[in-house]
Amino acid sequence: MSSEAFEKARADLGVIDTMIGFPAPREEQAKHYDFIRRQTHDADSQEWEFPAQYMFKGVPHYDKVDDPVEMLLAKMNQHGITRALTGMAVDGNAKIALERHPDRFIASTNTDPNQGMDAVRKLEQDVRVHGARAVNCWGTGLIPQVPLNDKKMYPIYAKCIELDIPIFVYAGVPGPRIRFAPQEVALLDEVCWFFPELKIVTRHGGEPWSELMVKLLLKWPNLHYSTSAFAPKHYNKDIIHFANTRGADKVIYAGYYPMGLDIDRIFAELPHVPFRDHVWPKFLYENAARLLKV
Amino acid sequence: MTAYETARAGGVVDTAVGFPKSREDMFEFYEFIRKGSHDAATTAGELEFPAGYMFKNVPKWESDEMGDPVEMLFLEHQRHGITQAIVGVEDEVGRRAVRDLPDHFFASIGIDPNEGMDAVRKIDRYANEFDLKAVGAFPSGLYPQVALNDKMFYPIYAKCIEVGVAFCSTAGVPGPRLQFAPQEVALIDEVCWFFPELVFVTRHGCEPWTALAAKLLLKWPNLYYSTTAFAPKYYPADIINFANTRGADKVIFSGYFPAGLTYERIFNELPGVPFRDHVWQKFLRENAQRVFKLPAEDLS
Repeated sequence: MSSEAFEKARADLGVIDTMIGFPAPREEQAKHYDFIRRQTHDADSQEWEFPAQYMFKGVPHYDKVDDPVEMLLAKMNQHGITRALTGMAVDGNAKIALERHPDRFIASTNTDPNQGMDAVRKLEQDVRVHGARAVNCWGTGLIPQVPLNDKKMYPIYAKCIELDIPIFVYAGVPGPRIRFAPQEVALLDEVCWFFPELKIVTRHGGEPWSELMVKLLLKWPNLHYSTSAFAPKHYNKDIIHFANTRGADKVIYAGYYPMGLDIDRIFAELPHVPFRDHVWPKFLYENAARLLKV
Repeated sequence: MTAYETARAGGVVDTAVGFPKSREDMFEFYEFIRKGSHDAATTAGELEFPAGYMFKNVPKWESDEMGDPVEMLFLEHQRHGITQAIVGVEDEVGRRAVRDLPDHFFASIGIDPNEGMDAVRKIDRYANEFDLKAVGAFPSGLYPQVALNDKMFYPIYAKCIEVGVAFCSTAGVPGPRLQFAPQEVALIDEVCWFFPELVFVTRHGCEPWTALAAKLLLKWPNLYYSTTAFAPKYYPADIINFANTRGADKVIFSGYFPAGLTYERIFNELPGVPFRDHVWQKFLRENAQRVFKLPAEDLS
């Protein structure tokens, strides 16, 4: 267990960050969260710039951003992040980044299963025509919310299998003050049972059901866990233990820049995570590379 | 000629037909129903046909009476003026029929959503090999049962839309002594709401929820009703009334040969159904040809 192993993995292979966004001016970033405010009932959520801000220290804020793509790239370079999974065409930034730096950015599309067959067709189009290599679905943030095991998800899951792409979903109690029920970890069991071929990557920690998460990660070969939205010093102990024992292939690095964590903070804390040596290259690069076919 | 006779002379489509089988083979075929039943009459095989208590003069052939099933069915169709028929192609008999008589027989398969992605891929596979016209399901007859609005059906519905094939399901209380819950007519509302593009054809009557069936048929443009398993004298009054008023395009003829009804009986009773004149040719032929994308020719 050593930070040398971390350094060596980073130097030898690089790092894939499976959750990253482009920096935006404060006001714009705050406005992005309107979709969350629409379904909260508490007063704080209406006022807060970032609906999960009570959980985070040092959330990145910018008064002005000149070139979001180059700014992000400079941050990535500074910390040895060689590739990043980013949304596509949601704003101009992703499109520019994917065109300008195809060796650095990997496209992920987004889905809203409430849209039925239109969502299925969009997914197929984004993968086959526009080169997406993953799909993201935050069912809890949708209106109406769509639970992980909801029937509306099933055509999406089937399409992911047909297209052979992983789906990134959210598990555990969400930070924003919306209900957690749609993303309880327990719901994953049914999905993995019915779609054993489906490659799933959880985001945002799976807490407080991390013991169950570990059981499921062990039980279902195509279920994976990523560390998005967690500062490394708060990485869950159950997950670290699992990665160090039977789960080295199942745990994947993800940051949370610029939404809640600065990359500087992440990479200051990361070397101190007590992963065993053999885990680091898999965690930082290989597991994501396998799923995203890098 | 009456409107019925004129319409019939133009051709009749039967949208759900089986090939004749010997009594023993038929008995064996119904094993899937006995498996899910708990009553002694069904499980012990006392009911040779699990819905036999509902039918008179069910067609039967002893093994030594059996000829070539394709020929037997084709002759039967010629005798009664059936010009196009949708049959299963999951066994060699059905495949041969579709290959040898491609103007007469059209391909369908059954689906069991319990099979997950294998069921989804099965639709793709058959659609690649055949000009697939229908995907059929019997929700109460699956093991375990799968309700029409169950999540397991959702990838099946999506695939039917992608492939452009009609989905046909039994709806209403089933004859065999299985629970009706998975195929209650009310469940269809949710499916049509989420998949408005899905072409959904009900089979086996929708009873006793025929008033609701008529409401839904009116509400959902891609929902249709077919008369499988009903002798014409028992066609539900709600459905006849709907066909005669706003639903002439939504009600589709089907027989139940050889499972429960002879064509003699069907065509003896059919002229007595009080359809209005304009309904007949839509009912006997045109609706089926449009909904199942069959060649549309008027043979009269």
